[in-house]
Amino acid sequence: MVVITQQRERCIGCNYCAELVPDRWAMSKRDGKATLIGAVQRKGFHTVRVADDELEANRAAAQVCPVKVIRVSSV
Amino acid sequence: MRNRKTPTIELMAPAGGWESFQAALDNGADSIYFGADQLNMRARATMNFTLADLPEIASRAKERNVKSYLTLNSVIFDHDLSLVRRTVDAALSAGISAIIAADHAVIVACKDAGMPLHISTQANISNVEAVRFYAMFADVMVLARELSLRQVKAICKVVNEEPVIGPNGTPVRIEIFGHGALCMAVSGKCHISLHTHNASANRGACVQNCRRAYKVIDLEEGHELVVDNEFIMSPKDLCTIDFLDRIVDTGASVLKLEGRGRSADYVATVTACYREAIDALNDGTYGAEKVGGWMKRLETVYNRGFWGGYYLGQQLGEWTDGPGSKATQRKVHLGTAEHYFPKAGVAQFRMEAHQLHVGDSILVMGPVTGVAEGTVTELRVDGRPATEAKRGDTVTIPFERPVRPSDKLYLTVPA
Repeated sequence: MVVITQQRERCIGCNYCAELVPDRWAMSKRDGKATLIGAVQRKGFHTVRVADDELEANRAAAQVCPVKVIRVSSV
Repeated sequence: MRNRKTPTIELMAPAGGWESFQAALDNGADSIYFGADQLNMRARATMNFTLADLPEIASRAKERNVKSYLTLNSVIFDHDLSLVRRTVDAALSAGISAIIAADHAVIVACKDAGMPLHISTQANISNVEAVRFYAMFADVMVLARELSLRQVKAICKVVNEEPVIGPNGTPVRIEIFGHGALCMAVSGKCHISLHTHNASANRGACVQNCRRAYKVIDLEEGHELVVDNEFIMSPKDLCTIDFLDRIVDTGASVLKLEGRGRSADYVATVTACYREAIDALNDGTYGAEKVGGWMKRLETVYNRGFWGGYYLGQQLGEWTDGPGSKATQRKVHLGTAEHYFPKAGVAQFRMEAHQLHVGDSILVMGPVTGVAEGTVTELRVDGRPATEAKRGDTVTIPFERPVRPSDKLYLTVPA
């Protein structure tokens, strides 16, 4: 199991995560920030649990995020 | 309030948050520019305003007869377009004076909404034809920082003689940078941070890696070449206060101070110095002695060393020789304000670190207070006269300006 967390408020909408993992990240036309698909929001942190095969691509997304608001951990 | 004569040049100050906004208001800015949310060149700053802050910004500025300008000047993607429209609408209904932009999408959005527009340095306007083009949309436009004063003057001359008319029916106003950071790239068109950290400067996420020391290495044989100055990509900061008469003489009508990423005490000091300098030019008292005093004060806050930028056409190569600030003063956090006794003119603080002594220079910063400076003439710890206060103490100090709960107390010491 892989847990992906995004501190969405600090996202600057650069689009890299959505380019790398389009099935998991989408750019919101409402506020221009990246939306973590399937995530639940709690206290500003958006979290989703996904299957192990999504680990690598989302780690890459976390790595390129210029404001480092994405955390990916394997549990 | 300061007696506001018709200024020869409008002084535009930066604000990255409420503290610096208030500091700009208190120190004589004619206008203040700031970002809200992520579509501006300081998106990385945690202290940006939000759209919900716009009405208060506009009303606090209007109260002081100061103009408010919202920067919406990053590169814009398709997914940003609805936020752009919403931001323009929010600025218009809040009564913000103008939006500063470079992307055509923002320019069109402002035109459609009837929102006054300024052109950002991101458009790096370097010739009069570009001024004529942007005059279809904007009343104020900043010139690229890389022009010389002769080039600035030539553009202003055409603009005023022709004249080049903006959307509001009057000649467009030319703005130039007066003080603050310079890039090695033409007015911000830089991709170093993007290439090394995926952090686009043009989306406001610059990591400023140009400010670091670099070596030149021969990749074939591994030789490290000696470079006179390791900080080969970091220019010193622009400072024009010592030739402000020549700046005003160009015919430019707005002087912009860089520094939305800088602290409130920086904004207070730089705004105050340039305000005094512009006023001195107006009343004929501008001269070497005053310039010396302003330079000393400007050196106390964040700077990488100063030079006159590209305005005077000097030889290039004015690189900084260190990674950070050369400020002659630094601030040390001491504690937090708890109360102000207006009748007695006494401020109460909780000490959280270090010590405070009689005779110390202090600084109080807060969202409403802005920046208030003072000297400790006497202090009381838990109600009793004392010469020193330390961590954990509740200290009261006579302080002329009111402070508010949660304001931060700093000691200012030589760097």
